[in-house]
Amino acid sequence: MDTLFITRENLAALTADLLASGTHVAAPTRASDAQTEYRYVTDFAQVRLDGSMPRRSLKELFLPPTEPLLRWRQHQGDVELQEVPTSFPPTVVLGARPCDAAAVDVLDRVMGWDYRDELWFGRRAATTVISLACPGVDDLCFCSAVGGSPESTRGADLLLTPVTDGYHVTVVTDKGRSLLSAHPSRFGALPASGPLPAGPRIPAPGPLPLGQIRTWLESNFDHPLWHEVALRCHGCGACASVCPTCHCFDIVDEPEGVDRGTRRRNWDTCQTSVFTLHASGHNPRHDQGARFRQRLMHKFSIYPDKFGEVLCTGCGRCARACPAGQDIVELLGRIGALAAGNGHEKVEA
Amino acid sequence: MATAAESLTTFEPRITAFVCNWCTYTGADLAGTSRLQMAPNVRIVRLPCTGRIDPLFVIKAFERGADGVIVSGCHPADCHYTAGNYHARRRFAVFRELLDFMGIDTRRVTFSWVSASEGGKWRDVVNETVARVQELGPFEAYHQLAGRQA
Amino acid sequence: MKELQVLARKLLAEGSVGVVIGYEEGPHGVRPAFITRSEDAGRLVFDPRCVHNLATYLSPRRSVVKGLGKPAVVVKGCDARAVAGLLRESQLTRDDVVLIAVRCGGVMQHPAQHVDLRAETVADRCAGCDVREPHLFDFMVGEAPTAPPATDRREARIRELEAGSPADRWAFWQQELARCVRCHACRQACPMCFCERCVADKTQPGWIESSPHPRGNLAFHLTRAIHQAGRCVDCGECERACPAGIPLGLLNRKLALVVAERFGHHASDDPSVPAPIGSYASNDGQEFIL
Repeated sequence: MDTLFITRENLAALTADLLASGTHVAAPTRASDAQTEYRYVTDFAQVRLDGSMPRRSLKELFLPPTEPLLRWRQHQGDVELQEVPTSFPPTVVLGARPCDAAAVDVLDRVMGWDYRDELWFGRRAATTVISLACPGVDDLCFCSAVGGSPESTRGADLLLTPVTDGYHVTVVTDKGRSLLSAHPSRFGALPASGPLPAGPRIPAPGPLPLGQIRTWLESNFDHPLWHEVALRCHGCGACASVCPTCHCFDIVDEPEGVDRGTRRRNWDTCQTSVFTLHASGHNPRHDQGARFRQRLMHKFSIYPDKFGEVLCTGCGRCARACPAGQDIVELLGRIGALAAGNGHEKVEA
Repeated sequence: MATAAESLTTFEPRITAFVCNWCTYTGADLAGTSRLQMAPNVRIVRLPCTGRIDPLFVIKAFERGADGVIVSGCHPADCHYTAGNYHARRRFAVFRELLDFMGIDTRRVTFSWVSASEGGKWRDVVNETVARVQELGPFEAYHQLAGRQA
Repeated sequence: MKELQVLARKLLAEGSVGVVIGYEEGPHGVRPAFITRSEDAGRLVFDPRCVHNLATYLSPRRSVVKGLGKPAVVVKGCDARAVAGLLRESQLTRDDVVLIAVRCGGVMQHPAQHVDLRAETVADRCAGCDVREPHLFDFMVGEAPTAPPATDRREARIRELEAGSPADRWAFWQQELARCVRCHACRQACPMCFCERCVADKTQPGWIESSPHPRGNLAFHLTRAIHQAGRCVDCGECERACPAGIPLGLLNRKLALVVAERFGHHASDDPSVPAPIGSYASNDGQEFIL
């Protein structure tokens, strides 16, 4: 992969160029409560590239919390359907976290599986992702434990690595190369003396035994661990909302008058009690233990089974967001220990 | 106030009124049979009692295009079900402050006690509400809500 | 806290409870603990990081918790108000639960890794607390606490919003609620949101749109706020749980001030004090009614 260089001033100028040409630019920004979140910006001054973790992930740029699927209008006996566009304006993500960019690539598997999701891939096609190498956030990060890394280029078209006077720019894909070619004056060759990377890094955890975890999950459906861990779970779905890889959605028909309405898809989560509630009143996942188990199994057993990799990129947001103190790293460690047969693990029923 | 010449293009507000069956609905009927002149902008939804009126009704009315809402029932001590209006009084005292706090202009919501014999009062409540909401204009802020995405 | 651990050990050993719900040290700070064996009672802690309202685990809809048997629950004063609320609204009988009240001098806004209780870090609700020694209890543990650091940043923010125009407030709430994705963490974490089937989840008819667009979000939050009016115990869990950082505490605190001013009601840990909505007085104010 080629590596070039961009100064911070030129990055600001590049952003201004993109905005001026009508390209949407999304980046980490400062929210009203001083937290960081990904939002569309109108000025480089709004962009926050200080390594702070946006509270939600990139998935909402490709799978919005709510989006119309079609609109209908009735005229006497006829129904007219209005399709929604499946091509989207050009967008650049500036400063994506590697865990978030990788997650989008992970989700491409399910989004292109039995039905090619035109809205997801329409947005993917229109978007160029510029990742920013990550110094680590805190000890809840575990990308390296699930096969990722703070410098991962997965899902990125360009990777920026912060250095003293600017950024190293690694070209990852042809789409990234096209961005460079369209703005040649902003990028330069690597300075001969090679400035050193800026700042220390938080130590990255070692790999988890994902294969063993998957095997354990497949044969321990009724293990008392699930009821124990689910005790403190509120079934709130805060974890799913901040997760870069959770992607379940609900489809609703929303009347907006007697003769018109919108069919939408909305974010949903397997953690709520109504997620698997049947019209008959039967609920196959009838307690929080069953629901909590489902989330772990989907991520670490079912998705690997179908697509060959886990549905998790180790960002740690679920543990940070959980109001009840659930800790996925701790849980995976426990399952790993159970799987390895370090069986002094005591579980309270 | 609009002049006759302006009235052709004056905005006509849509008002939904949630009223109790025993007092206000009957009073409104009396206003009608007495041929009292009042603005035609109000659509009445009849409930057994103001105690049955859920704040969600008010929210739904605004969602579905109302520019103003009226909630009306029996005077204190006259409730057909004894205390329904007392519960409503407390509930709406609080709900009104909630609406105000969230930025919904409370001049769009009228609360009244109108008894079965107060046809004239109903006419006044209707005319005053319509005039007040007419001046505020259509409730565009609410009606445009779903179209905006985060 | 030794006193608490000794008590828990005793209650479990003698079999008078099936579980002690308290706080323990997790890998990244304090978190709720469910101690079912007396030998594990040493895990129990209590300090200003213990923000969580454990009364929420007493809700009848939490079947996994119910399965453990009769609970003893560690409650601060604000949590005891929630237990009183559950008793008041017939979600519990007094004999169903053993209350271990803790004397509390304030908790942190966020359950961080280290205790550091200052005016800048203390939870919004702690200033002026009148239940530092809860009145609803079976056992009382802990040292007599000093008053929490004083802050009024929440009341100041409310006054600031009230001083603006309705249009300013509308813009503020639309901006804040735009981040809501309807995860319902606020509802799930709340001890007083115990409905087995929330009105927001009902579809026949669908009063509240489930879509996280501005219209649906406004309907949900207006409804939750009015349903909590006079019932909210100001434990702050809704705001803490919200993964989108929406200042829900402002809404609930505003309505608490309204019911205090209009009906003289303050959240109480005495279950015999009636909730203001659901009761009435013949001389309730009606200045807003024509």
